[in-house]
Amino acid sequence: MQRAAMDPAEEPPSMLWGLDPVFSAFARLYVRDILVMTESTQVPGIYFYKLHPIYKVDVLGTVVYKRERDDFFCYGVDDGTGVINCLCWKNDLFKEEDPAPSGAQHSDGAQGGFNLVAELKKLRETQRSRCRLEIGELLRVRGPVKTSRQQREIMASTFYKVDDPVMAVQVAWMMDVPQLYRLCYDKPPQLQPDAAGDSPISVVGKATNIIKDFFKQKSVTRFRPYDVQDLLQPLIPCQPQTASADQLCCVTVAVKEPVAGPSACQQLRQLLKEALQVLQDEGVVYRKVKSQDEVYNVTARDTDLLIAVKDVIREDSRREKYAEKGCHILHVLSAVRQRHSLNVSKATLQLVLKSLECNSDIVSTSEDHYTAF
Amino acid sequence: MLPAPAVFHFPWEVNSGEVQEGESVRVFGRLVCYQPEESRATLSAQHASKEHRVAVHTLFVEPFNPIIGAQYLVLGEIEKAEGVGAVIRARVLNCVDGVNVALLQNAINEQRSFFIEREQTSDNAQAT
Repeated sequence: MQRAAMDPAEEPPSMLWGLDPVFSAFARLYVRDILVMTESTQVPGIYFYKLHPIYKVDVLGTVVYKRERDDFFCYGVDDGTGVINCLCWKNDLFKEEDPAPSGAQHSDGAQGGFNLVAELKKLRETQRSRCRLEIGELLRVRGPVKTSRQQREIMASTFYKVDDPVMAVQVAWMMDVPQLYRLCYDKPPQLQPDAAGDSPISVVGKATNIIKDFFKQKSVTRFRPYDVQDLLQPLIPCQPQTASADQLCCVTVAVKEPVAGPSACQQLRQLLKEALQVLQDEGVVYRKVKSQDEVYNVTARDTDLLIAVKDVIREDSRREKYAEKGCHILHVLSAVRQRHSLNVSKATLQLVLKSLECNSDIVSTSEDHYTAF
Repeated sequence: MLPAPAVFHFPWEVNSGEVQEGESVRVFGRLVCYQPEESRATLSAQHASKEHRVAVHTLFVEPFNPIIGAQYLVLGEIEKAEGVGAVIRARVLNCVDGVNVALLQNAINEQRSFFIEREQTSDNAQAT
């Protein structure tokens, strides 16, 4: 059972709430759950559903209660699990009275039937009719949850009448929400800030991201492993040492006690090796020439490769054999390997093809087939 | 001030006694007859090769345009009267003709099984 307020010990710190995607989304919770969510002790106005911080919600339901004032509508919305008040502010649509008298519209008939003033009036009327609902109509509301006078309310940031003559929208909603709960809301949020001692898989993931960011920032075209080695330094837990703090871990220093297991240097090299392998598998980098000298090309900035692929496709698209269907990706791959480098992988080629397609240099005619004009 | 939430029920559950007096429900069915003088409408639904009828008191939702044969969704409270059985006093009566009844039934069952699943996991959690 939910308590009126969260136990402060259980509540995740507010700094980490942004890490939960549900916090930034309009959560499609059942009204029943919205009504019993516990309020945060750190920040009033934020609520918790199973440790997910909730700020704003999205509700679809039947209007069963209506109260109108000058400034707002208050609709009681029933979604089948609970009823909640939704405060829907009237915007300027309702405040402005139409100034033009209806007689003025007839004079513009000569303009060929399109009268801007009349159309605007119609638009405004339609907008108004979407906001004014009667009991029994279907309302969609999105907005933050507030508790006022002991009652939970939704302060609508968006609300509109839903036309649902054959209940398609309601049925879809009823099928979707349990899935959302199972996949998202009922799963505990991953709010732990990344700390040292993570599993090896995620460390390699972080390493590849660091290297990719480096490529982007410095517009790297080619590199050798030692160029990026130092970037991965922060990912390696430092060994305890007696020397001063600004000495690199790799430099041998007299340590108080010998530490078993791989040294920081070895860990770094191993991590680098794994990261480079992942990047090669993804096609982000490739080795144009396999030699003693370990030089990697960054696919995104390799203009020679780009031109080679473009030329292959352009020339072969002219041939009768490929004119209609386009060139298959494997054909392009073997041609590029002959022309440019034997070490171009399919993954690398796919990245190049994607960027060429984005630039409209080539067009894909069907799955895995490409052509140029 | 706010009425109770109207939970989805199937027409055959209304008369079988599964719903209590005073409960707020949402029920669908085909309009088979309407007596405006008595403010009575009857909805019908097929289930397990039997026809199930639901009586609806339409005083609060009149006037409405009755389309005999069309699917309707009624939202209201159960009233049980001697000799009459269960009657739904309608607060909302919407014509939803064209609704895919099978899909609607699926959706209702999906929601129900989700809630039962939730009860079970929370019972397990509380028991531990």
